[in-house]
Amino acid sequence: MNTSDFLLTGWSWSPAALAAGAVALAVYLALFGLNRRFGWFVAALGVFLLTLCSPLATLADGYLFSAHMTQHIVLLLIVPALLYFSLPVNLSLARGPRILAYPLVGWLAGVGAMWIWHAPAMCNAAVTSRPVYVVQVVSLLVLGGLFWRRILAPRESERLSPPAAVLYLFSACVTCSILGIIITFAPVTVCSIYSMPPPDTLGISPMIRNGWGMTPERDQQIGGLLMWVPMCFIYLAAIFAQIARWFSEPQRLPDHTA
Amino acid sequence: MNGITSVLSRAGLLTLEQREHWRMAWLSTVDHKRIGILYMVTALAFFVIGGFEALLIRLQLATPVSTFLHPDTYNMLFTMHGTTMIFLVAMPALFGLGNYILPLQIGARDMAFPRLNAFSFWLVPFGGLLLHFSFLAGGAPDVGWFAYAPLSEIPYSSQHGVDYWALSLLVLGIGSVAGSINFIVTVLTMRAPNMTLRRLPLFTWMTFINSFLVVVAFPVLNAGLVMLLADRQLATHFFLPPGGGSAIMWQHIFWAFGHPEVYIVAIPAFGILSEIIPVFSRKPIFGYEFVAGSTVAIAFLSLLVWAHHMFTVGLGHTIDLFFVASSMLIAIPTGVKVLNWSATMIGGRIKLNVPMLFCVAALLQFLLAGLTGVSHAVAALDWQTKNSYYLVAHFHFVFVGLIVFAILGAVHYWFPKMSGHMLSERLGKWTFWLMVIGFNMTFLTQHFLGLAGMPRRVFTYPDLPGWGWMNLVSTIGAFFMAAAALLFVWNLAVSLWRGKAAGDNPWQAWTLEWATTSPPPHENFHELPPLHSRRPLWDDANPDRPDPVVGSRGNVDTFSPEKNKTSVVVFIISETGFFLVLILAYLFYNAVPQPGPDAHDLNLVKTGIFSVCLFASSFTLWRSEICQSRGEHRGMTTWLAATIALGGVFIIGQGLEYWDLLASGVRISSNLFSATFFTLTGFHGIHVCVGLLALLIVLGIALASKSRHKPLPALKAVGVYWHFVDAVWVVVLTVVYIIPYFR
Repeated sequence: MNTSDFLLTGWSWSPAALAAGAVALAVYLALFGLNRRFGWFVAALGVFLLTLCSPLATLADGYLFSAHMTQHIVLLLIVPALLYFSLPVNLSLARGPRILAYPLVGWLAGVGAMWIWHAPAMCNAAVTSRPVYVVQVVSLLVLGGLFWRRILAPRESERLSPPAAVLYLFSACVTCSILGIIITFAPVTVCSIYSMPPPDTLGISPMIRNGWGMTPERDQQIGGLLMWVPMCFIYLAAIFAQIARWFSEPQRLPDHTA
Repeated sequence: MNGITSVLSRAGLLTLEQREHWRMAWLSTVDHKRIGILYMVTALAFFVIGGFEALLIRLQLATPVSTFLHPDTYNMLFTMHGTTMIFLVAMPALFGLGNYILPLQIGARDMAFPRLNAFSFWLVPFGGLLLHFSFLAGGAPDVGWFAYAPLSEIPYSSQHGVDYWALSLLVLGIGSVAGSINFIVTVLTMRAPNMTLRRLPLFTWMTFINSFLVVVAFPVLNAGLVMLLADRQLATHFFLPPGGGSAIMWQHIFWAFGHPEVYIVAIPAFGILSEIIPVFSRKPIFGYEFVAGSTVAIAFLSLLVWAHHMFTVGLGHTIDLFFVASSMLIAIPTGVKVLNWSATMIGGRIKLNVPMLFCVAALLQFLLAGLTGVSHAVAALDWQTKNSYYLVAHFHFVFVGLIVFAILGAVHYWFPKMSGHMLSERLGKWTFWLMVIGFNMTFLTQHFLGLAGMPRRVFTYPDLPGWGWMNLVSTIGAFFMAAAALLFVWNLAVSLWRGKAAGDNPWQAWTLEWATTSPPPHENFHELPPLHSRRPLWDDANPDRPDPVVGSRGNVDTFSPEKNKTSVVVFIISETGFFLVLILAYLFYNAVPQPGPDAHDLNLVKTGIFSVCLFASSFTLWRSEICQSRGEHRGMTTWLAATIALGGVFIIGQGLEYWDLLASGVRISSNLFSATFFTLTGFHGIHVCVGLLALLIVLGIALASKSRHKPLPALKAVGVYWHFVDAVWVVVLTVVYIIPYFR
């Protein structure tokens, strides 16, 4: 099998993912109807399905650690962020347990999701066991949602102030970078399942190992680097958005100080 | 001495009462203005030394196959030149400017911690003397300013030069971190009313952002220096491959600090340009928000891209690729700045006084430095030009073309404020042209030398076509620059003696430092103008067409926290960086089991019990804080004493553990496990001891205080530190004791 064949045939339309997507769509339309922000929701849904059904998911299923890492980053940071963008501007998130609104809780959720799921045992379990994999996907989405809550909440008043948000995002970025650095330079394998020959039902192992030159070592390095560099750029993009927010004139707040 | 006192008092730098003891008045000062000047004078002195070293290097290289200098001497000279210029010239000069100008720009009376400020300054001469003392102690360091291992290790550098180098950098690093904490706390807590964070002048804003970079980056170097010193003095093998260590690890640590360091000296220079260019273009800065915001972007990006210094190490294409991409991104925010400065000048009524001349030159030279910088971000190109004179030319364009030019511009700009006298414009222009022509003769030429293949750090070269005359041009240029420097010093001296009186605001500038007299009185301001925008003096002078009011974000940009607690929080950020490197080193070096002692020789149960004591002490301290907020003096002191006792038990426990290990023959030099174990837990232990000492002092103050209801801000501040020390132990306990137990 060559690369283009694989890209055409490597799709796996998992019924669970499709069902979850359909339910989410129904819930969104029931709650908010068709509104101007529906596009964001479609984007979130699209990215979600692409992550779980495209050849990327096939690769992540025992072949490539780096593909798994891509899934991980997208599910944790991108899909929840897009979902927040899809919410109506005036929606208040104040309902629900108050503890979830604490910045420390959100921060620990976002950072913990990276660290816990990359403990060797957890990482392997998510590949070998289907239920664990489902738990992983759901937990990433939920933890990502908690992480972004105080940054992307639709209401300005429910977001952190820009300086606090910058600290929040920067410390998260550093903490994830450290894990990325550890994975990149670790002299041992982090997720050992990916270095073993997979039960190659599709017959794509030779293409990946020889055609793409993805040795297990390089695969792990790319995985670590994805977490170290591009993932940090997601945080950095959010930081720049906060800076832009900081310097934009506040709306009709009287100049108390003058 | 009468001469000096009369010059100083004529320049308003000495009051009448102080004339008798003028030395003490300056040496014991805690006034930010005097400390700023002391910083800058120190930087100037080291600039002369570093410049002299550069001239010797250039004389050696003036002709092919020269025997003017001994190769060993040459190695020492380029090492000392680099170290001196970065740590003893650029940093102190910029810290000095910040010290003098920053409190004035925010309308403050002084820095937040004047005595800490004096301490930070005095560490500079101390570190400088320590470094230069190596000349007398068997030879200066000769391993380059980044001291790559294993060359810097005992087998290859058995003299004490590297030890002095490491110690002095530790001293200077501590001073820089302390100074930066002071800047941060000053900006956060000492601003005049109405000086909101969004109205900060750009020099202050950039110094503020830069201080965070210092606070985060220097501990990384400090941790590396500690490991290097342990290797050299205690026979560990952190960076020595024969003992299982990793020489690459040193490079990572050094550049994780070293790359931000470039920006640490560049960002304040950006700040200077952002102050001077608008004033001499008679226009407000174009896109304040973009100039300010891109600074934050640069600061963050600079922490992410250090591996581009290591393209030739052989980290592999994968790693190189990621860092090619991320390094190139830095060109965007820097480009934004260059465009903003250019746009500020477009359509302005440009006045080409000396400060502006230097800034325009800095802008142009930095543009070229940036272009060659982008070329270094391309790994394939970097492989060809690394460690050639092309690289030397690139970073001198940054360090001299941008930073030194900006500093010279700043001195010409703010000297009237500091002394009350104008610098001579005529001498200044001579300085400028000599400097610019000399600089380009020296370093523009070196680009071509590098592309022709001349390697850096080699004491001489064969007579290849073109190399001889290009090197000669380079050397002649260096002497032009030396002449410019002499002229500059002469200008300072003469103007101090009989310069034209400056008045409060000779450049018709708009920021607060020009609202007071030149030089400012001891207390800085008698009265501040009203503040509604970023250019208060413009509003004052043009009441009919003031700048648009910069609004306030409620209580966010008027934010002014308690200063003791803030300083401890910033200090903790810095300490986190230090421990992070030690913990990462532990993880890295113990990922593969070593022969010799390992984590299974530790006693988890015993340590667990003592750890519980430490964690309990956080609880007791919390109770103590609660008692204090309720005004229960007795409860407060009791809980505080309990905290100290529990902390003491922990330290004794750790001492017993060390005793057992030593008794069973485990030494720090045994293997990498013991080396990382002892450095990590040892530094934590030192922090616990410091915390205990601080708690004892707080307890003493509490017991001695007559009024029992006086608030005790020290308790809060020390409390934050103590909780931090406990939190570090949670991580250390997990990483060192618990995880290996389950493996």
